[in-house]
Amino acid sequence: MTARDLYVYGIVRAGHGLPPGSLGVGSPPAPVRGLPAGRLVAVVSDVPEGLRARRRDLMAHQGLLTSLAAHGAVVPMRFGTVCGGEDVLVERLAATEAHHLTCLDRVDGRVEMNLKVLPAQEDGLADLLREDPHVRRLRDEARRRPGYEANLRLGEAVTAGLERRAREAAAHLLRELSALADGTAAGPEVAGCVLNTSFLVGGSGHDRFTAAVSRLAAGHRGRVELKLTGPMPCYSFVGPEHAPVGA
Amino acid sequence: MTTTYTEQVACVPRAGTLYDVIEIILDRGMVIDIFARVSLVGIEILKVDVRIVIASVDTYLRFAEACNRLDLETDTRSKTVPELFGGGAVTRAVGKKAAGKAVRSVGDKVRRAVGARDGDEDVEPKAEEEGLEEEQPLEEEPRPRRRSATRTRGSRPRTARRAEED
Repeated sequence: MTARDLYVYGIVRAGHGLPPGSLGVGSPPAPVRGLPAGRLVAVVSDVPEGLRARRRDLMAHQGLLTSLAAHGAVVPMRFGTVCGGEDVLVERLAATEAHHLTCLDRVDGRVEMNLKVLPAQEDGLADLLREDPHVRRLRDEARRRPGYEANLRLGEAVTAGLERRAREAAAHLLRELSALADGTAAGPEVAGCVLNTSFLVGGSGHDRFTAAVSRLAAGHRGRVELKLTGPMPCYSFVGPEHAPVGA
Repeated sequence: MTTTYTEQVACVPRAGTLYDVIEIILDRGMVIDIFARVSLVGIEILKVDVRIVIASVDTYLRFAEACNRLDLETDTRSKTVPELFGGGAVTRAVGKKAAGKAVRSVGDKVRRAVGARDGDEDVEPKAEEEGLEEEQPLEEEPRPRRRSATRTRGSRPRTARRAEED
């Protein structure tokens, strides 16, 4: 046991196989090892010098968790989590074992699917002009008296209109897709997105979920553009908001 | 893997990209009270910069132009916005140049903020890397008018960000 800092990738159940030769953050990538702690194993490596949110290290973090998740339940840590030594980590995991086991149960056999909804641009423009008299009037004004100001007002109204249409569609999408998921979690706000939500989806239901998104994308064509990312480790379903009170 | 659904039900898997979920990796996941997070300052600043809004004035004017050209009496659905925007070579070149400029200024900001040295490959790409990598720069907006790979033309200019819009 040393007091050396550890980078913590995630927590798995004891007996969860660590893919051989797993590599983590850093350059050269640090070898990854399992640190047993009761019924849990923390997946850790040394902390490389000067670790920051580099593309390479984010990829390493994500890649390792993805391969871990392929072999069983994993509680993914937020990127950049460092713990002050093995003793501290083992002790802490022992104290919170029940909570981690609950988290592992929650994500077991499930994946996170992240959906971002953005306003459509292509077909949206013509539809908006047809249905929104305010935008049409500004367009007519801009045509009659072209100029920077008129164009700015028109463009602003178009942007707002496209966003409004996207928000309406997003609310519908959220209702439909929530019914197919075991849980939902609002993601951090992302500029340009009218909705950023993650869905906890059963591994077997994942194709069905993707198919539903595809169907909804077609149904709301001209209103939204969708970005579906996943399956990925269930980051959004193990955070502090899921911790039991007093844990 | 990210699938983008645009005007068609287009499936564009972009395996290995972090860019669409970077905010999740940095902002979600298990945290344990006594654990520290490395480079917290750098990461937090990065998160803010990830969300820098695309130039709204630029967008407004482009929309206005597209609207002005749109003739509702004809079948507008057969036209795409890039065509309406006159997405020719010149526009593309200008758009790309402007985008590169914006990226550079944002990248510099982050680099200064985190005290990065030259040669560090931080999460924000250097402007000169643009187009060289197979994946999107991580700090780019999720928004900017990415076209689906089903299009044969790489038509639309990338939206430039302008610092003055912040």
